[in-house]
Amino acid sequence: MEDYKFLFKVVLVGNAGVGKTCLVRRFTQGLFPPGQGATIGVDFMIKTVEVENEKIKLQIWDTAGQERFRSITQSYYRSAHALILVYDISSQPTFDCLPDWLREIEEYASNKVLRILVGNKIDREDREIPTHVGEDFAQRHGMYFLETSAKEAENVERLFMEIAAELMEQARCKELPRYEQNTTSINGKTTAIGDSNSCGCSRFT
Amino acid sequence: MEDDLPTEYDVIVVGTGMTESIVAAAASRIGKKVLHLDSNEYYGGLWATFNFDGLQKWMEDLKSAASENKDFKPDLQDGEQFLQASNQYSTIENIVEDWFISNDEDLPAVLAKNTQTESSEEPSGAEKVDDDKSDKKDTKHWSIDRIKKEYRRFNIDLAPKLLFARGELVELLISSNIARYAEFRAVSRVATCMNGKLTQVPCSRADVFANKTVSVIEKRMLMQLLTSCMDQGADSPEFDGYRDKPFVEYLNTKKLTPIVKHYVMQAIAMATDKTSCRDGVNNTKHFLNSLGRYGNTPFLWPMYGSGELPQCFCRLCAVFGGVYCLKRHLDGVVTSGDKCKAILSGKQRLTLEHLVVGQGHLPPEIVASTGENKISRGIFITDRSIMKGEKENLTLLYYPPEEAGQEAVTIIELGPLTNACPQGLFIVHMTCKRTKTAKEDLAYVVKKFLKAEKLEKNVSRTPTDSQTQTSIAGGESVSKDIESKNPDDENSNNTMPQVLWSLYLNLPASDIKLSESAPNNIHLCSGPDLNLDFDFAVNQAKEIFKSMYPDEDFLPRAPDPEEIILEGEEAPGPKFEGDNSNGENEKQDNEKAEKEE
Repeated sequence: MEDYKFLFKVVLVGNAGVGKTCLVRRFTQGLFPPGQGATIGVDFMIKTVEVENEKIKLQIWDTAGQERFRSITQSYYRSAHALILVYDISSQPTFDCLPDWLREIEEYASNKVLRILVGNKIDREDREIPTHVGEDFAQRHGMYFLETSAKEAENVERLFMEIAAELMEQARCKELPRYEQNTTSINGKTTAIGDSNSCGCSRFT
Repeated sequence: MEDDLPTEYDVIVVGTGMTESIVAAAASRIGKKVLHLDSNEYYGGLWATFNFDGLQKWMEDLKSAASENKDFKPDLQDGEQFLQASNQYSTIENIVEDWFISNDEDLPAVLAKNTQTESSEEPSGAEKVDDDKSDKKDTKHWSIDRIKKEYRRFNIDLAPKLLFARGELVELLISSNIARYAEFRAVSRVATCMNGKLTQVPCSRADVFANKTVSVIEKRMLMQLLTSCMDQGADSPEFDGYRDKPFVEYLNTKKLTPIVKHYVMQAIAMATDKTSCRDGVNNTKHFLNSLGRYGNTPFLWPMYGSGELPQCFCRLCAVFGGVYCLKRHLDGVVTSGDKCKAILSGKQRLTLEHLVVGQGHLPPEIVASTGENKISRGIFITDRSIMKGEKENLTLLYYPPEEAGQEAVTIIELGPLTNACPQGLFIVHMTCKRTKTAKEDLAYVVKKFLKAEKLEKNVSRTPTDSQTQTSIAGGESVSKDIESKNPDDENSNNTMPQVLWSLYLNLPASDIKLSESAPNNIHLCSGPDLNLDFDFAVNQAKEIFKSMYPDEDFLPRAPDPEEIILEGEEAPGPKFEGDNSNGENEKQDNEKAEKEE
């Protein structure tokens, strides 16, 4: 059995091409794959990090390309603990779409989900969105804010580590969006699971 | 970002219903280039689950969609023919929506003990999603405004369905590794109506032994009968001479007591007097097979509603490269000879090898029959369960017709733990075969179990029964107090669930057929069927896939993230390790497990 204290689901959204997959790959594998298209076969990535000597497992979900025509499944947002909304600081249109993304998030994600606005590609010379504009937007919508470069590995580690630390803090204060834990994840085994009425404390450990 | 779609595909799938989504996933999984379209802005079509606001919008759209049918004059090449797609919504009929509560602030307060909700909620580990503060405020009554305001906390199914724990869909979710996208809740009780009263059907061995209404001899009788059903199913010599006769005729020869016969007929086999012995035995076998796998009953319910499941398959399709585009209409199909060559959609001509189309989008020219088995649906928001319990239940009730001309009705009752509705409410789904309108077809059952009258002002209701409050652990002692104060009279009008809101509608039949002249690379996917489970859709998807790619594997297991070895830059896609790895299950379990101190 793996040894970790918390497991958190982190999902990324934002327009196609803003660097969501690159952020995930940079963080989980230390890779930066230039010019890669949509990521075939990769579903979510897992990385275990350590915060205050506690092991935390981050399950990081990518959009699987469904954002390209604004067709993300609602179920993608279910049970997320943190939500990273990404835009490209060198592309005004990706910033202009943020309100649309927020509407979708409002509709389908838990209203307690930790929200982080990320301006990616700060290695680019042709910046179109000044830092303070991104900051303002984040503040107005109650989000954390960070600018990153997946290419130069700038702030990527920090982004996920801060998410992990914040979620752990919330978990300790019991402020985390709590998802019903007494649900059944089906698999090949025959498990006697609690039915819908036991106290909800049983876990599949 | 209105990019144009790429224009060449192996498979184009139109509609994101259950069958369509499974086929899309299966094709994408074996490397086919898949485009998956839906004209709606949501997934699932007639299989969708909506929040309260979404459902209202859906009904609005039905009204406006009926009229919009533009003429279409495409550019065609020689020998090509254009068939215009039909209007997906034209087949939904008889929508009747009613409110039974008012908008006023001075509503009769339901005397629920809010203190109890508050005190019991804190210490428990269990919680529902999005417990917003308003839930705990002192006003516990529901008004139209409040339901509308809390719209996000409803998940209302157009086609509610359960999964047999060993049914086709569960096995497919496991074998394909798509199970990781969904969560489930075990149905906690199967109820049956005996002598006018609802009782819980004993499902587990322990339940059977604990049951005091059945004698030891009856138990033995029951076990014998069930064993013969289990062993060889309907092929067993036991059923020689009865297979095509009604199941009830066979049961009559067994000299069963009325109680045992009732359990077998109405709860286990879910049979009417007309059900054949073959079907009855097979149903019984299916039920028994699925016992003991995941919970007290043979059934699972998908968290957030049935509409989540097609999306799980869509996700897999996308992960393997499928292109997704909602809000994109199918304008029509281009045929040439006995082949469909392309579709037209949003000014684009998209070519294909195979076209998989959900019912309702098909050009009328290639539909032979619109089917017999149409569906009547009723959806109700109520203030308490149809059957009292010490805790919140997820209930299945099969109610056979009382008299000729009526159809058997399947009732699924969902509480807040499934995310179907906010704390304090229940959602009741009724489904039956259509004979008249949904409202007429279901009237006898509604009358039997629900109080669907306008709630008078200033009349207090008796306290909502305990399960609404004690669904959150820790309040059991309090709940018993309440029950002892409650007159234990099921038939008392004042303890029947009050309907706050109801919706009736008729859905199209699922046994629609393509005409003989239809191009042979067009594959039709049915809408929701009358059965309780998803087997029909899964089997249809398998057939379609097999007719498209007879030599390919159907949804082989997708790798877990840990198994994916990413290569350098030029690798077109990740490679994964072999497909059979035991011990994966444990891994999955661990992922699901969220540990706390």
